[in-house]
Amino acid sequence: MVSHAIGLFHDPESALHAAGQLKSAGFAQPEIMSPVPIHGVEEVLGPKKSVIKRFTFFGGIFGALGGFALAAGTAVMYLHPTGGRPIITIPPFLIISYEMTILCGILATVLGFLISARLPVFRERIYVPETAVDKFGVTVPCDSDEQFSDAERILEQAGAEEVRRLGDPS
Amino acid sequence: MSSEQKPMQYSDVNDDIVRSLVVTGRKYYITLAIAVTVMVTCFYFPWFYQLYYGIGAAGMNNPTVWGTYLASFIFWIGLSHSGTLLSCVLHITNSEWRKAMYRSAEAMTLFSLLVAVTMVMVHLGRPWFIHWAAPYPNQMELWPNFRSPLLFDVIAITTYLTGSLIFIYMGSIPDFAAVRDRTSGWRYHLYVLLSLGWRGTDTEWHRLGWAYTFLAVLIIPLAVSVHSIVSWDFAMSIVPGLHQTIFAPYFVVGAIYSGTAGIVTVMFVLRKYMNFEHFITKIHFDNLGKLLLLLSLLWSYINILELFTAWYGGTSTEYEQLRYKLTGYYSPLYWEMILFCAVAPLLLISKKIRTSFVPMLILSIVINIGMYTERFLIIATTLSRQYLPESWRLYTPSMVEISILVGSLAMFITLFLLFVKIFPSVSIYEVKETMPKPQKKNGDRSW
Repeated sequence: MVSHAIGLFHDPESALHAAGQLKSAGFAQPEIMSPVPIHGVEEVLGPKKSVIKRFTFFGGIFGALGGFALAAGTAVMYLHPTGGRPIITIPPFLIISYEMTILCGILATVLGFLISARLPVFRERIYVPETAVDKFGVTVPCDSDEQFSDAERILEQAGAEEVRRLGDPS
Repeated sequence: MSSEQKPMQYSDVNDDIVRSLVVTGRKYYITLAIAVTVMVTCFYFPWFYQLYYGIGAAGMNNPTVWGTYLASFIFWIGLSHSGTLLSCVLHITNSEWRKAMYRSAEAMTLFSLLVAVTMVMVHLGRPWFIHWAAPYPNQMELWPNFRSPLLFDVIAITTYLTGSLIFIYMGSIPDFAAVRDRTSGWRYHLYVLLSLGWRGTDTEWHRLGWAYTFLAVLIIPLAVSVHSIVSWDFAMSIVPGLHQTIFAPYFVVGAIYSGTAGIVTVMFVLRKYMNFEHFITKIHFDNLGKLLLLLSLLWSYINILELFTAWYGGTSTEYEQLRYKLTGYYSPLYWEMILFCAVAPLLLISKKIRTSFVPMLILSIVINIGMYTERFLIIATTLSRQYLPESWRLYTPSMVEISILVGSLAMFITLFLLFVKIFPSVSIYEVKETMPKPQKKNGDRSW
């Protein structure tokens, strides 16, 4: 059965160091859980890429085109000439386009966030509530007792106040 | 944090904020009961009365077809302008002092927007046809007129409401998770849903950081556009006193001005009644005071400019409008506005005033009374004094309108009171970020 070793640290530097040590000892990608965002994670665990910016960008483009198409399309579908002015009037329709750019940009950003952060999840997962208060947790999956002992040793050497073994809830 | 107090720990922040959510005193319930009672009696009853007897129950007439309902609409939209906008600007510029106050400021945005939308419904007369403003296929094959500034308003405010709601929610996800672990019963289930299964992993923080910044970048131009568009409801007409190019920046500056004053009021109340003295300090009031001073000067400059352009232009209609504004029926209100929004805020030049809580509270309320007057005057002085003297007619709000105005304030207070018991009103994780990082307990570890 897959279990997880989780080491709880008092400070972020020790947690980062432990994660780096685990990674260089050949463990699968360690995860750090913390009450605040930690700086320097990418230097230790490798660069993180996110697709959110693409979502925002294409969401914005979609909104810009969609907003203009909505205003222009509905104007063409029900012709209502006023004072000899053009049916597709650029300046006011650009305002609709502008607002829809932002609206769709925002909605796409949220979608991008949820997809890339793999949320929402409502089933039980490896988690220690102290990491939402004042502890910094480092967790790795362990396939065997030997692997857990190795992880425990590394975590303790790095300064973990406590190391726990958690079963995989799934 | 005052120097004589024990330095705060991370766990103290969780304790304080969770306590603010779950421990509720009698004062809170009494205030809530009063707010709900005032809201029902002063807002909903008069509104139902108006729906039953018709829009004539309000004091609006021809030519003053817009009255205090729309003045209140601009006021509430304006009040919404500092919360999310200021929060976004301060987030992008990485201002530390933002972190303790932004959540409540954003809530202020959200609730003032909701009240503003309700004010439009009240003004409509037949609010059950509000869906006609939405572009949806219908049997008459009619579509809304996208060339109308009123429809720009619908789209802009919907976008702003959506954006503000998402922005405050996204920033609260880690805090919902922190609160989830400390609550039980219905609250636990609510926070389980709201926190989406957040665990605070490095990947989640990374994604949240990016998404939050992108949202901030998108919301800044949105907020500016919203109040510009509200100003076009007026400026795109050919009414003297309204048809002015300066109106968009005038409205935006006015909105941020009254919104910032609103934040000061809310901060005072939170600090005093939610026991947030540790988080909301003199530094916040000092910075907000400086911002208010700057905005009051900008606002005064635009007002002088408006008068000067009308006077220098010298066209008879503009000139009459100017004369009427300064010396006519509504002139006492005009001079009250100048006193409250241009003269009184000059006191903020003194650091002693900026760092004193009660004077700041009084000033913030005075500024918002002045700003409400400004919005009232924009409508009342112009529509009642258009081109031909035969169409001049005074406007005074009826009791129904005044009552609904009072009720709208009670509605805002009710929403805010409910908010402080559901949302952590100070951001737990961002306040922690402003605190000294926990250091290694034993400096001589082997590594």
